[in-house]
Amino acid sequence: MADQEFKGKIEQALDNSTLRGALGRFGEFYEKAREQVYEGYDFQALRDQVAEVKSYAASHLDEMLDQFERAATARGAKVFRAETGEDANRYISELALKHKVKSIVKSKSMASEEIHLNDALAAKGMDVQETDLGEWILQLCHQTPSHMVMPALHMTKEQVADVFTDHLGRINDPDIASLVKTARSELRSKFLEADMGISGANMAIAETGTLMVVTNEGNARLTATLPRIHVFLVGVEKMVPKFEDAGCILQTLPRNATAQAITSYVTMVTGPTPVYMPDGSVRDKELHIVLMDNGRRKMYADDKFKKTFQCIRCASCLNVCPAYQLVGGHVYGHIYTGGIGTILTAFLNEEKFAENPQNLCLQCGKCAEICPGRLDIPEMILELRTRFAQKKGLPFTQKFALDIVANRRLFHSLLRVASLAQKPLTKGQPVIRHLPMFLSGLTEKRSLPAIAPVPFRDIFKSIPQNIKDVKGTAAFYAGCLVDFVYPKIGEGVIAALNDKGYKVVFPEGQSCCGAPAVYMGDKPNAKKSAMLNIEALKAEGVDYVVSACPTCTHALKDSYPALLSGDPAWEERAAVLSRKALDFSKLLADLGGLPEGGDGLPLKVTYHDSCHLKRKMGVYREPRAHLSRTAGIELVEMYESDHCCGFAGSYSIKFPEISAPILEKKIKNIEATGADVVAVDCPGCLMQISGGLDQARSPIKVKHTAEILLEKRHRQKNQKLS
Amino acid sequence: MLNQGERPKNLYEGFREKLTAMAGECSRVRRAEDIAAFLIPFFRENKIRTVGLAESPLTRAGGLRERLQGAGIKVTTDNIRQAAPGVEAGITQLKWGIAELGTLVQIGTNVDQRLLSMLPPLHVALAQTSELVPTVAEALRLIHSLPEIPGFVGFITGPSRTADIERVLTIGVHGPGRFLALLVDEDVREGE
Ligand code: SF4
Repeated sequence: MADQEFKGKIEQALDNSTLRGALGRFGEFYEKAREQVYEGYDFQALRDQVAEVKSYAASHLDEMLDQFERAATARGAKVFRAETGEDANRYISELALKHKVKSIVKSKSMASEEIHLNDALAAKGMDVQETDLGEWILQLCHQTPSHMVMPALHMTKEQVADVFTDHLGRINDPDIASLVKTARSELRSKFLEADMGISGANMAIAETGTLMVVTNEGNARLTATLPRIHVFLVGVEKMVPKFEDAGCILQTLPRNATAQAITSYVTMVTGPTPVYMPDGSVRDKELHIVLMDNGRRKMYADDKFKKTFQCIRCASCLNVCPAYQLVGGHVYGHIYTGGIGTILTAFLNEEKFAENPQNLCLQCGKCAEICPGRLDIPEMILELRTRFAQKKGLPFTQKFALDIVANRRLFHSLLRVASLAQKPLTKGQPVIRHLPMFLSGLTEKRSLPAIAPVPFRDIFKSIPQNIKDVKGTAAFYAGCLVDFVYPKIGEGVIAALNDKGYKVVFPEGQSCCGAPAVYMGDKPNAKKSAMLNIEALKAEGVDYVVSACPTCTHALKDSYPALLSGDPAWEERAAVLSRKALDFSKLLADLGGLPEGGDGLPLKVTYHDSCHLKRKMGVYREPRAHLSRTAGIELVEMYESDHCCGFAGSYSIKFPEISAPILEKKIKNIEATGADVVAVDCPGCLMQISGGLDQARSPIKVKHTAEILLEKRHRQKNQKLS
Repeated sequence: MLNQGERPKNLYEGFREKLTAMAGECSRVRRAEDIAAFLIPFFRENKIRTVGLAESPLTRAGGLRERLQGAGIKVTTDNIRQAAPGVEAGITQLKWGIAELGTLVQIGTNVDQRLLSMLPPLHVALAQTSELVPTVAEALRLIHSLPEIPGFVGFITGPSRTADIERVLTIGVHGPGRFLALLVDEDVREGE
């Protein structure tokens, strides 16, 4: 759980309107621009190549490093292997001392910031200049980067002008072009004087000993051309096996990082090249390459984190992260920011620094969708969270709630009691939060969930299922929200499946899917839920297991097999359930979809994609098709329909200050469509969005697709019948 | 190989389109001697009177130094380390062009050639139209097929740029603020 100090930092970031403005504008620009710059290219195939190239290097790391060292040494470079950051700092400082270096220019290197190289060199009396414009600004005002690619993203031109004014002792106007000009001339003289250059690299080619640097400003070129000594500080994860392998990274890195087809410059250094010496002669410079581990091997040796080697540091995972877009990089507390930064910080700095920021992840999966290295960042964050929870335990209130949820009888009887006791508290309003969480005492200042007077499990028995020609059976997994809050969704599911000739059964023993435990890192309770539901659902005996909550479906499909893998008693049963479990819209589509039909009454509907449905299951066309085939419905798309609504389970309780602005944006996009109804496929989104619309006093309704289909297709039948 | 995007039908047109989209300038002349004919009015128009020149097959074949000097332009070809920061333009010959990106590939083993491509505010890059290749993959393959990978290889696509302040694109930070690619159709090869 996030501590108070961390909460304070978030509050500050949210109050900083400059930051929020800059981040928000960038986020909006970025997504579209990135898409455009990939036009004509097959991103999926390119990222497959990146993942393949990088994972090969990761699994042959020693071979790669040896090969690189041999190739680079053969070309005249000196290669040093640094186990730790101190080793790297020592080697570089001693080198500088030995060569009587006075001034050093640096092109961008995150690795050097990771190990505080500048401080180590300054302690030896050397003048160290960052030359990347953003890094230089930060160096002058003693700040850390807030973004891995655009380090000074959080600053305004006015702030930059003030920094320059302080540093140069003369007034600088807040005019970007003239600020850049000032930086050019100030740093130009530094370049011309420098004895040593220090660079980071984006790739190190094992086959040829080549270092590749991708930049826009041209500082890396100058660093590689002017000083008589050149040091590359390279994390071992930069290894790429073959020279031609660089192609897929050159095609994706600039496109993903800044939505450019290519940066102004790509610099490839293979061995020393001639430089001008201070005496005017031209000779080969000294080229040193420091290959640094500093915690990286430990990370790649860890099965759950080995894919971090596939990261090419494009920072696009930050650019699309709804939490990052609101709070920026500084709350992450270290030089590596965003989701991937949290993971890197845990391994390359100290684990404890990741403990707070990992909470910021909403698990929306937007980053995994666009990551060129095919990293599943949310999965890794969740693993971190689970490990923290295992190590330190969860706070009592959370643990208590999760224990109750994992005990079906107790949980369900509490829910039934709550349904009676709640009335004065909710004023009959079904505006609620993640169901199991209301037990935890975290719902202060929030309305309690309005529990349905009769849960779906009781209604179920009275629903007639008249099917002429029975094709098969589907077990309905309701999940807490459908069972106890939105039973009507369940009715819709049954009606639609009956139409397709499937009889629906409701296995009584089912209970919470365990997602709250999974997302809070409580593995024991998550496992308990998995076993309980596998036992209850008895997937072996039905054709399908259907759920109308993508979070539950994801749990049945993906989390259970992962939780129970290696357990001979459960593994096979988890696999059967995983195969048969489908989300409602997907199953309906697999069964051939619904025929044209519906009451024909005009209804303008806009569709909100649930994170889990779209990104975990790839389902987004299906529900739209069901709705479009229903007479009367006019489907209009909203802007950013697949952006998270900010619910994310207990997230909205942990970080209401972040969840609320995310929801606000969603509500604006919904309102702009002029729709009568927002269709969703997830009861969690339903709850969140209806809460938001409620507050905005909007007349727009939120309904589950199954509910809309029921109303538009079956009410009519019912009316006719009566 | 996969994913190289659509192969531009006309390499030069594709190249020019991509390069100009990256704020680079691009022109084409038929013969080496036309380089001077193109550059003299271009320099005059832009009030450029001092240039640094890295001699290369194209500049020699086109008698570029003499012609520029004849037009009253001060041309420096040696002492480049001292001169390069002060001249108004650097002229160098680059190697391949990559049509899918509008990129020129610099084989920069020669330090003077490199300095002239980096320090002056304008970089005039000469290249041969016949050395345009469609894709990055092709360019990497060609670099790799050289007897050894040159010590310094640069991809250059337009002028130096930054968006580090408020994400506003600003041209000309550490490198040239203007980049002109001048492609020459005539094949000029020396020592072959
Ligand atoms: S994790 Fe993926 S998206 Fe994030 S920086 Fe690395 S490569 Fe880019």
